Amino acid sequence: MAAARRLKRVAISQPGFLTLNPKVTPTDLVSSRRKRVNKNKKKNWNKYSDVQDVEEFLEDLVNLKFCFLCEEAAEPVKGKKRKGKSSRPLRIDLILQHDSLVAPPKDVLAYQKPNAKKLRRTAERAEKLAAKGVVPRSKKRLLNRTVVDRTSKKTETEANNNPERDFYDIWGQETKDLGEPWYLQQTRKKLVKRPEKLNEKPSVLPAVEVIAPGGSYNPDFFSHQELLREAHEVELKKKKVEDKLERQLAYNKADTATEETILREQVEGLVEESEEEEEKDAPKEDGEEVAVGAIAVADKKTERQRKREKAEKIKEQQRLTERRQTEQQQQLFQLRSIKTSIKQQEETTQIRQKRRKAKEEAQKAQPRRLGKLKFQPQDMEVQLSDELAGSLRQLKPEGSVLMDRFKSLQKRNLIEPRERAKFKRRLKVKYVEKRAFKEIS
Amino acid sequence: MGGLQKKKFERGSATNYITRNRARKKLQLSLPDFRRLCILKGIYPHEPKHKKKVNKGSTAPRTFYLLKDIRFLLHEPIVGKFREYKIFVRKLKKAYGKTEWSAVERVRENKPTYKLDHIIKERYPTFIDALRDIDDALCMCFLFSTFARTGKCHVQTIQLCRRLTVEWMNYVIASRSLRKVFLSIKGIYYQAEVMGQLITWVVPYQFSHDHPVDVDYRVMATFTELYTTLLGFVSFRLYSSLNLVYPPKLDSNGESEPKEESEDDYAMNSESYLEKLSALSASLARVVSSADEEEAQLDQFPSEGEDMEKMEAREKELKQQEAQKKLFEGLKFYLNREVPRESLAFVIRCFGGQVSWDKSVCIGSTYDVTDETITHQIIDRPSVGKQYINRYYIQPQWLYDCVNAKILLPVEDYFLGVTLPPHLSPFVEEKEGDYVPPEKLKMMALQRGEKPGNEQEEDEEEEEEEGEQEEEEEQEEDDNGDEEDDEEEVAEEKNLKKMEEQRSQGKSLHVKVTPGKLKVENKARLEQEEKAEEKRLAIMMMKKKEKYLYDKIMFGKKRKVREANKLAAKRKTHDDAEKAKKKKARK
Repeated sequence: MAAARRLKRVAISQPGFLTLNPKVTPTDLVSSRRKRVNKNKKKNWNKYSDVQDVEEFLEDLVNLKFCFLCEEAAEPVKGKKRKGKSSRPLRIDLILQHDSLVAPPKDVLAYQKPNAKKLRRTAERAEKLAAKGVVPRSKKRLLNRTVVDRTSKKTETEANNNPERDFYDIWGQETKDLGEPWYLQQTRKKLVKRPEKLNEKPSVLPAVEVIAPGGSYNPDFFSHQELLREAHEVELKKKKVEDKLERQLAYNKADTATEETILREQVEGLVEESEEEEEKDAPKEDGEEVAVGAIAVADKKTERQRKREKAEKIKEQQRLTERRQTEQQQQLFQLRSIKTSIKQQEETTQIRQKRRKAKEEAQKAQPRRLGKLKFQPQDMEVQLSDELAGSLRQLKPEGSVLMDRFKSLQKRNLIEPRERAKFKRRLKVKYVEKRAFKEIS
Repeated sequence: MGGLQKKKFERGSATNYITRNRARKKLQLSLPDFRRLCILKGIYPHEPKHKKKVNKGSTAPRTFYLLKDIRFLLHEPIVGKFREYKIFVRKLKKAYGKTEWSAVERVRENKPTYKLDHIIKERYPTFIDALRDIDDALCMCFLFSTFARTGKCHVQTIQLCRRLTVEWMNYVIASRSLRKVFLSIKGIYYQAEVMGQLITWVVPYQFSHDHPVDVDYRVMATFTELYTTLLGFVSFRLYSSLNLVYPPKLDSNGESEPKEESEDDYAMNSESYLEKLSALSASLARVVSSADEEEAQLDQFPSEGEDMEKMEAREKELKQQEAQKKLFEGLKFYLNREVPRESLAFVIRCFGGQVSWDKSVCIGSTYDVTDETITHQIIDRPSVGKQYINRYYIQPQWLYDCVNAKILLPVEDYFLGVTLPPHLSPFVEEKEGDYVPPEKLKMMALQRGEKPGNEQEEDEEEEEEEGEQEEEEEQEEDDNGDEEDDEEEVAEEKNLKKMEEQRSQGKSLHVKVTPGKLKVENKARLEQEEKAEEKRLAIMMMKKKEKYLYDKIMFGKKRKVREANKLAAKRKTHDDAEKAKKKKARK
């Protein structure tokens, strides 16, 4: 604070400083000694603070403003408080009122239009043209402009499953070419062409497999029996698998531990210990001897032996080549049998090819292995003879169409068979008895 | 010998496949999104031929996709939408967590959506492609439209499915293209012929759902999403092909105007329109009035030989079809409240019948029970209170059997309280020599225009014939119809022989000129004989190998016939036993 004040003083004491109040010289401002008062009291602020300069400045400002507005306004504003009724119009308003008896001249420009003649003519011409039915160019351009679809945003946000959605002829209309193919491709506006191979179906099975005639709600006796037999066979197969599993899991009843065997086991090693050890030791020693004998030292071959071996080798090779030659010569005479053998071979390959093809065809109708799980066919829908309804009203539907559709999708290799994800609890559940229960129990 | 060592699994089939997880990572999608994308785009997993090679030496079962397919998926604009949707869900969750409801609303408003139109166009480049694949779409839509609106899937989806199925049924009615119906224990199978394509679909019975737990509803919903779009576009095209207004409108000047008064009882204004449509009782409005429609005439081409025969067969078939289309025309049906209304109304209207029901059952009934002009009342209960004398009271199975038989069957077997004849599957096509149930035989006889009075004898005759076939040689099969002529010939021959004998013995013959009998040459018979002769010669000329094969085939056929005969005999004994039982019961 003190520093600031000092600065102010210093600035004021400079010779070129102009105060706002020309009467007061900067020198006496600084030199006059002020009475010292406590400045921490509000009372003293009001009494002793020197607000004159501020007030003067404000006055100056007001004066300046009014000077700009009008010269007459300068005097009455001088700070006097208004007395009397407020209903009287202000003097300033009176002054500003128009008091001349001569009417102000008419503003000619307000009634004149620049280029009026030209405009009139153009309007007339336009009218004529309109009567003829000619549309002006500007309007034409407007009309030709492609209409920005305001509703496009709305249709975009329309959900896919909106029940009121509208359809159009998707196959009839040609796709509009929006521009150069290169441009479209680069800006990702053009869709990539779908490979033809993707339109092949992964299975030859029909989409809807109609249930066997025995599945009628009021079936013919024999077709019903046929269906029952099939269902029975399926069940038999299942039972067989189950039985097999059980058999594999079965154990010999005699192997179960009785008290006696348990006791024997516990005592094992305590009785007759010494005898067994001796027996064990004996074979060990034998083994060591065998191991020692196994290391054999190979003798070095003599020069003579080597030479003889080489000669034998060459001789053998010669013999073989000779034999091959004679064989080839002989084949000339065997042409017929060779032909037949070739024919036979071809036949077998053809048969094999046919078989393979048939197998492939059969495979096409089979569900493939597409994931962890194998395809499990659905349980057969069948109603036993006593379950059959006499009339349509009493019919109790068997099986579910939903399941049928789902399995059909799996069977046709459209989706892989899956299991429902099992819920796994990561953290243990802690059992806490609530206090309210605790009190009772 | 030099060169770099080849690395394993860097060429060949290992590079053609990609595992599901890697594909998913490549597309930066979560597993459910990936699955959805694959279903929508029609990209299915593929089982490689050599799993071990593809799986880099491991034999663990994995799901593989073709790498090229996945690369194709990378260009799909919907992938971006899936990612956007993920962000949307995250934002929504956050807003919920902070309980900023205004933010929730704002985020909800900007929910990203996508259209499948371009996928439909891409997967089905022509309309016929789409029509061939419509079976699945129909099944799915019919299934979803029967779901309860309890949150197993979106209510909107169910409504859309319902709308599409109603549109489809109305189309089938308008085009009269239904061919077969089969009531099974699972659901009702329908088959229609639309633009030369046989389309089969299955509709579950109403209210029969117990939701199975081991079905992935999300996958099914995705399929439905695709199929609803497909079905919508297809039905638009079908409607325009018949000059019908799409979305369908009821014909306002039709004579069977549904009553207006009691509409408010059934549905709100917004829904009543669809309800009225789904009642199936009124015809649809056309763009061009139906008066100037022409019957399409089959073009006649000059042709010879086999083509002629084929043409004739085709013409005959067409005629039959035309007759079938007008099966119920002129008949007036009334459905009692206990019969499945929608299915029956659909079937009746498909063949030109008029149908109505009680006012309180459904909207859109056109006449009351008291209408004197009703010809058939469909009923499925043991007895009725008041009966009108000028109408038949029959069980619903009659309608379905009539449709499958393509003729109006005698109503006697389907009267009230009568044990119904079995409902046979029209989807079974018997080959030569298969066992045919007697009911079907009877039906076939009726179709041929024979009277139902002598059916019993006829059956027996046919059986006899079959028996003969078994014993006789193949080539003689054809001429066992006219044995009398044979006998005549034999007699003549005997006469001649006698004369020869007499002459050889040197006796003078008492020659007489007798008036000659005109020998009527049966042309058809001659033709047959010629054919049989040709066949026999052809058999004789066969190579050994072919002959062996032929014999084998014939043996198989004979065996089949034998089995069929056995079954027929069994059936007969069964029927006799039943009859005896009934007689006893009566006594």
